[in-house]
Amino acid sequence: MNKRTVLWTAIVLALLALLVLGCVFFGLFEKSVVAKDVDQPLSPEQMKTLAVRGAYVAVAADCYACHTAKGGAPWAGGLPFTTPFGTIYATNISPDKEHGIGNWTRAEFHRAVRDGVGKGDTHLYPAMPYASYRLMTAEDVDAVYAYLMSRPPMKVANKPNDLNFPFNIRRVLTFWNLVNLPADMPPLDAARLEIWNRGRYVVDALGHCGECHTPRNIMQGMKASEYLKGAVLEGVVAPDITKDGLARMGFDPVLLPAFMKSGISAQGAMTNQMFEVVHFSTQYMTGEDLAALSAYLFDLDKLPDKPASPTQPKPVAVAPELATAARGNYLALCSGCHGIEGQGIPHVVVPLSTNASLRLASARNLIHTVLNGIPGQHFPGLERMQPMPGFKDQLDDRQVADLANWLRAEWGGETPSAKAEDVAAIRRDE
Amino acid sequence: MTIALKKLSLTVNGKAVDPVDVPDTMMMQDFLYEYLNLTGARMGCGQGICHACTVIVENDDGTLAEMRTCITGAHWFEGRKVRTIEGHAKRDASGAITQLSPVQQAFIEHFSFQCGYCTPGFVTGATVLLDELKRQPVARADLERAISEALDKHICRCTGYVRYYEAVRDVILNTPGLIKA
Repeated sequence: MNKRTVLWTAIVLALLALLVLGCVFFGLFEKSVVAKDVDQPLSPEQMKTLAVRGAYVAVAADCYACHTAKGGAPWAGGLPFTTPFGTIYATNISPDKEHGIGNWTRAEFHRAVRDGVGKGDTHLYPAMPYASYRLMTAEDVDAVYAYLMSRPPMKVANKPNDLNFPFNIRRVLTFWNLVNLPADMPPLDAARLEIWNRGRYVVDALGHCGECHTPRNIMQGMKASEYLKGAVLEGVVAPDITKDGLARMGFDPVLLPAFMKSGISAQGAMTNQMFEVVHFSTQYMTGEDLAALSAYLFDLDKLPDKPASPTQPKPVAVAPELATAARGNYLALCSGCHGIEGQGIPHVVVPLSTNASLRLASARNLIHTVLNGIPGQHFPGLERMQPMPGFKDQLDDRQVADLANWLRAEWGGETPSAKAEDVAAIRRDE
Repeated sequence: MTIALKKLSLTVNGKAVDPVDVPDTMMMQDFLYEYLNLTGARMGCGQGICHACTVIVENDDGTLAEMRTCITGAHWFEGRKVRTIEGHAKRDASGAITQLSPVQQAFIEHFSFQCGYCTPGFVTGATVLLDELKRQPVARADLERAISEALDKHICRCTGYVRYYEAVRDVILNTPGLIKA
């Protein structure tokens, strides 16, 4: 081969590559899961009937939590999302014709929710969990559409996103979609009972649990191979919620639905983003859906009648000097509320002896809480937990590590693993 | 359950407390009541919410910190210097009060309290605020916010807080050096 041939081959290959990239960029490889029949608009009667069910579907899919800013107008968007690529703002999805989705057709709404492509062929960012909502049934998407269209329109302008190049070009999402979007919902598993199949739909499609609980790959897509195995989010662990992960935290198929309903259990209270999930979504789920969620996560076709008697992990022995120092700090700063035996105070403060944070593989959540505390929280049914102060000014890195290690060994049965450097990193918000 | 005892020594209101055997699980409030007969730090909620039980810890660097005694173990105060409500006023050799602290005096002049249960906590909180402002004066425009931030955690069920706030503002405005020029 002479130089000329090599050069020409290179040019042709480069052009071909450009052509392929161009095809992806202009959406030629995008696969829609939206069926053609949604081009047909819904009749006013259909909209009216669907809106009633849509209220429930929207709650189960937790649309409100993101599409309403703190203190903002309902459904008018504005909640910021800080991502490694910049800040994105949730959009106005009230039926305002100028700022919201008032002019969106049924088909456009379907494509936005399930394909991630909005009106006017505008790509959505995956902060909107369309990779999960893709699995929603057409009936449920219709119901949400009808419900949203029945809300009062909010004249609130959308905030412009603040994203770095090239992520500010929405079309680059075509590449992301090509790699990260699942196919349609797999068909019902005939070998499993309805409760399991419904649970899979509640977990994967409506609840979009994997968006936080499944680790993300380098492209920020959900890593299918580590489905629901837990990930770090905003400095805390969204725990492993596979069957093994839940059992490790001390949950039981019968107790889990109650925890999703109330936000409080012997394993602790919902905090951070899960507090919001309970607040806006799971507390309103039907008993059937919560049971289904639990059945699917525990991989059962029937929930047991009664919870199993709780088991306490066997304490792990730690060095006596570590135990003395850590216990001293526990008695001085923690036991006034959490109790000498870690029993907590009902309606005031969670127990530690049965706390999930002491049993997770990572000590991160416990350390994060000791350093930063937890704001006071109001739970369903007039239940509440008092604020927990942070102790970052009272305890140094070594003392926090010792305290975490001792607590986790004593009540969580976990071998000490936290180091002062880990605490320093969490203190720096890493 | 046997009660494990541990030696505790600290300084309270300028007087050294000799090492005493104190249960290792005892809260500071109980220690103050039962061992030192200092009953001014009030037990309110017992959950660290109302701040009626607070005392001042005098740090080695000269700064003051407010600590809740109902939820802090007595042994946390090992080796530390503590000022309870009984230690704010000036006293003569016999222990009789000769002069109230400026904060205490202002609370009386402003009729700041009714039942008085929360007052020790408010005196403690306001005194710590004054000490902070000595080091870091605040702009006049930010004064209300600074008082609010410092005293917000203290709960009072009788007075609606206004007279406490007015008293504290008076003391700050009449003490040179607490407001930025």
